[in-house]
Amino acid sequence: MKMQKPRLPQRAQRSDRRRTFVLASIIAGSLLVTILIAHWIDSHRASPDLQVEEEGLYLAGNTLRRASLGFNGLSADWYWMRSLQYVGHKFLNAKTNIQLDDLSQLNLNLLAPLLDITTTLDPEFEEPYEYAAAVLPAIDVQEAIRIIRKGIAANPAAWRLYQHLGYIYWQRRDFQAASEAYGQGAKLPGAPHWMEAMKARMAAEGGSRNLAREIYGRMYDQAGDTSVKEMARRRLLQLDSWDQRDELRKVLSAYKSKAGRCPSSWREIEPLARALGLPVDSTGAPLDPAGTAYVLVKGNCEVDLDLKSMVPK
Amino acid sequence: MANGLLKSDHAGTQRTGESPHLSGTPLRICFIARNTFREAVRDRVLYNLVLFVLILTAVAIFVGELSGGQERKIIVDLGLSAMLLFGVFIAIFVGVGLVYKEIERRTIYAIFAKPVGRGDFLIGKYLGLCLTLLVNVMVMGAGVSAALLYVNRGWDPLVLRIWAAILLIYVELAILTSVALLFSSFSSPALSALLTFFIFIIGHFSADLKGLSNSMSSSAARWLFSALYYLVPNLANYSFITPAAHGHIPNLSYVFAAVLYAMLYVVVILATATLIFSRRNFK
Repeated sequence: MKMQKPRLPQRAQRSDRRRTFVLASIIAGSLLVTILIAHWIDSHRASPDLQVEEEGLYLAGNTLRRASLGFNGLSADWYWMRSLQYVGHKFLNAKTNIQLDDLSQLNLNLLAPLLDITTTLDPEFEEPYEYAAAVLPAIDVQEAIRIIRKGIAANPAAWRLYQHLGYIYWQRRDFQAASEAYGQGAKLPGAPHWMEAMKARMAAEGGSRNLAREIYGRMYDQAGDTSVKEMARRRLLQLDSWDQRDELRKVLSAYKSKAGRCPSSWREIEPLARALGLPVDSTGAPLDPAGTAYVLVKGNCEVDLDLKSMVPK
Repeated sequence: MANGLLKSDHAGTQRTGESPHLSGTPLRICFIARNTFREAVRDRVLYNLVLFVLILTAVAIFVGELSGGQERKIIVDLGLSAMLLFGVFIAIFVGVGLVYKEIERRTIYAIFAKPVGRGDFLIGKYLGLCLTLLVNVMVMGAGVSAALLYVNRGWDPLVLRIWAAILLIYVELAILTSVALLFSSFSSPALSALLTFFIFIIGHFSADLKGLSNSMSSSAARWLFSALYYLVPNLANYSFITPAAHGHIPNLSYVFAAVLYAMLYVVVILATATLIFSRRNFK
């Protein structure tokens, strides 16, 4: 048998509807006011105190590892993302165009402790080591070396850590130490053959452009972190651009000795630029590896990068 | 619970046609376990899966932007950690109420009026919650695997490799459930939850307990910490989330030893709980 819903008296129904309306209005109104207040607070918040922002981390990696109750991997992920956000935040706030491997002017005091904690919480996490090798040397080279060596102690079979160590020494122009690092890594099982070759080349031609190209090429191929990959790509563009500019200078010099003056525009030497295999734009200007036209510095037969170019200076 | 058990018990006895005291014991345990599982489902315990799926979806979609291309590792770390954390909360908060709720609702009188032993009751309750946790863990494991497939845009070896870690998580939860049940057999739910949570924390510090006992000069302190080390379950044995995120699999002998340790530990705990519970007077 179907039960009939008892009918409320009309007055009670009206009162019920009124109550619902009042409550819904209170909810919507209060929500709107809280949004407005939150907006006001955001716009009136004092700028963060730099001292507080850069305050040292209280907990050491080992303490955190113990306290993480088995969630150390997740804690490492948190500190890793915090490291990236820390660098990213400073990077975006910087007024000048800087490269990832030269962040010394950004005052990244917390980066070393953040990466140290990340790698203590999860010693097998490879990307923080890669980041430490690529970014940290410009800020604190000794800390960068210490973190990589700590990683080697925790992962004795990881040849890539020796590659990172070799890269740091190479950047410092300590080619002997770099050669040793590549040599030690080459002995590990699974290490690619080029590690051994790198050891020899590092000892023989440490400061050469070709070796730099090989180092950044390997870094580009193997980097897991997208920002490190991008840094390697831009360094490769820079190396190519250096080569191109050397060639263009020779052309400009030859033109000057032949014509007795510097060219007034790229059009005058367009065939010569094309002969070098360089792409040119509609004005005849050769393009740099990032696709932006080179600038002809008139008067002294010099070639330079355009300010808008993506190739590092 | 009591009604279900009464009906089930009647059906079970009819089917076997034997003495309910002997051959009916495993059957009665199964009925209690089934009803405990149903009760957990009715109490919307499995609703936590919705939250879990939301977390995983958010991570799979957004974390790539923040992690510098480490989505796979973070999905495994976060997914398995959430699985453990949610499981711990279920084991503690549902586990401590298993016995208490029956006493509070006075359904326990109806249950013990039938030929149900106190041990049967506790074991049934324990297995019922373990079944709930198993469903929970399996669905969550499938969720993590699906998230990995989504992030990798195809097959990823981690999809299979994480299951050894998931097994260890489940075994850890099974131990914790038994501990919660032990405390709930003689204490209030709030105190039981607190004590079980302490055991969870101390269980993850057990390596430090051993180190502490070795470094103590006093023999009494050494003895105390050694005893604590062996008494408290070594839950650090089941922490395999971080290596799993790097694609490592524990070796078979390790998993076997860890599972055997857990089984024996659960037997000890449930036997102790039965001993205590048998002495409780419900009159």
